[in-house]
Amino acid sequence: MKKLKLIVNDVVYELETRPERRLLDVLRDELHLTGTKEGCSEGECGACTVLIDGKPADSCLVLVGQVDGCHITTIEGLSDGNELHTLQQAFIKAGAVQCGYCTPGMILSAKAVLDQNPNPSEEEIRKGLSGNLCRCTGYQKIVDAVRLAAGELSAKTGKGGGN
Amino acid sequence: MSEFSIVGKRAERKDVRSKVLGKALYAGDLYRPGMLHGKALRSEYPHARIISIDTSRAEKLPGVHAVMTHKDIPGINRFGLAILDQPVLADDKVRRMGDAVALVAAETVEIAEEAIRLIKVEYEELPAYFTVEAALAEDALPIHEGGNLLQHTKLRKGNVEEGFAQSDIIVENVYQTQRVDHAYIEPETSVAELDHEGNLTVWSSTQYPFRDRRQIAPVVNMPSNKVRVIQMTTGGAFGGKDDITTEIQAALLAVKTGRPVKVVWSRQESMVCSTKRHPMKIFIKTGATRDGMLMAMEGKIYSDKGAYCSIGHFITKKAGLHLSGPYHIPHIKVDTYAVYTNNTICGPYRGFGILQASFAHESQMDLLAEKLGMSPLEIRLKNALKVGLSNATGQVFEHSVGFYETLKRAEEYMKTHPLEGGVE
Repeated sequence: MKKLKLIVNDVVYELETRPERRLLDVLRDELHLTGTKEGCSEGECGACTVLIDGKPADSCLVLVGQVDGCHITTIEGLSDGNELHTLQQAFIKAGAVQCGYCTPGMILSAKAVLDQNPNPSEEEIRKGLSGNLCRCTGYQKIVDAVRLAAGELSAKTGKGGGN
Repeated sequence: MSEFSIVGKRAERKDVRSKVLGKALYAGDLYRPGMLHGKALRSEYPHARIISIDTSRAEKLPGVHAVMTHKDIPGINRFGLAILDQPVLADDKVRRMGDAVALVAAETVEIAEEAIRLIKVEYEELPAYFTVEAALAEDALPIHEGGNLLQHTKLRKGNVEEGFAQSDIIVENVYQTQRVDHAYIEPETSVAELDHEGNLTVWSSTQYPFRDRRQIAPVVNMPSNKVRVIQMTTGGAFGGKDDITTEIQAALLAVKTGRPVKVVWSRQESMVCSTKRHPMKIFIKTGATRDGMLMAMEGKIYSDKGAYCSIGHFITKKAGLHLSGPYHIPHIKVDTYAVYTNNTICGPYRGFGILQASFAHESQMDLLAEKLGMSPLEIRLKNALKVGLSNATGQVFEHSVGFYETLKRAEEYMKTHPLEGGVE
């Protein structure tokens, strides 16, 4: 057992846990943040994607000891109370959600794309989502959702016009 | 065009908000007080007799609450959507890689996995059959008591000899399709719990709670009214969660331990143990007149069921009923054979056998068009089923068939929207 500090969705957690536990298990089993999903356990499907210091990562491939002191963003950290994040609204508007199991990881990967580049091309969006698999919706509506969100975010901040 | 209240309008899924927030509850998101974790030991051989199972070392492992084999099942040791042909835990023999042989419930997944490794099973290997030809060979051992041919279905309409005699051109081919996994992103998951009044609840990632209950109750030896199955938000299924997956394993362990038990299949277990789309070998002969009118079709379909039925005899039969496609053919003769093999089980998968048949009949249409020097669209328009015509089983459509109009609309659309790169 080891004492670790995680800052998850801006909340500081002081944990005593085995450092070799997967970040995914600590988030789900210990912090009860079950919005992060497990699909393949080997970094192929992206359902467990979280942001570590702003960068997307498969939390099934990260040991919690590796992220001591890091800022983690999970799907639960995106909305502001009942106020949905622009990406969450865009996924609803574009019909980009069916079974919903890939959705949290998909939205976090999309956030990483937009945080880095507020006005990405379709190719850049697809590249940014290439680590996330969806089996129901197909990718077009998901890409549409990200474009929609990019446009709305740009309009809000007054930077660029989206596409 | 008339105005509909829903059709053609934008609608928001009622569960979409909870899904984008990450709040939708899937079976794996349930954490019950005192919950244990269940794991299954899987067979190492595709076809083998079980000589002995030694669970003594697993039982002694600290943190293990139950180790179960077929001897510990309170009720019947069989389940199946249509035919009770699948053991919950292998008794006399295993019929495929991945048959469950023993179950463990433990404090953690890691302990359960360790206990599984400590179980010793002695097998006597039997010859295994991986193709329908091998399984149907005269000297093949029966995989099930009734033999390896599960079902033969005959479809007859008109007189095919006559139909071929009236044909100017005949195209004959063999088409083969492959086994496909549904690969839903959420693996199979169930949580089961007995309450203080002895009611069993199973929360599951499933498609049919009532069919699940019908199969769980006799295995745990409880009346149906004491068993409740709740479908949680389900992370994709596409037919793959039609059959029992984790439900009975979780239920058995919960009844045995008196504690809530969660069973989640690993992605590998999902690949090896869940049902797949049936690979089919389709022999098809299609005859048409010089001007492209279909006259006769004769087919034989062999479907690889894998080790258990699921509802594969229906799926195989359905592939045969649809081998003529959405076309009117006056003379039809189709034989379908659903065959047990020692492969992974095949069951429902979007399309229910029709997809395999479509590959064959649409390929035949393209080949006929090519040989007749006709466009692929024209031959389809000429033969499209319409009101007043009968399908392969002789049913006459009385009200509407949208196929012809759909083709015409597609034609119009394609005239104004050329495909990128063109069409060859």
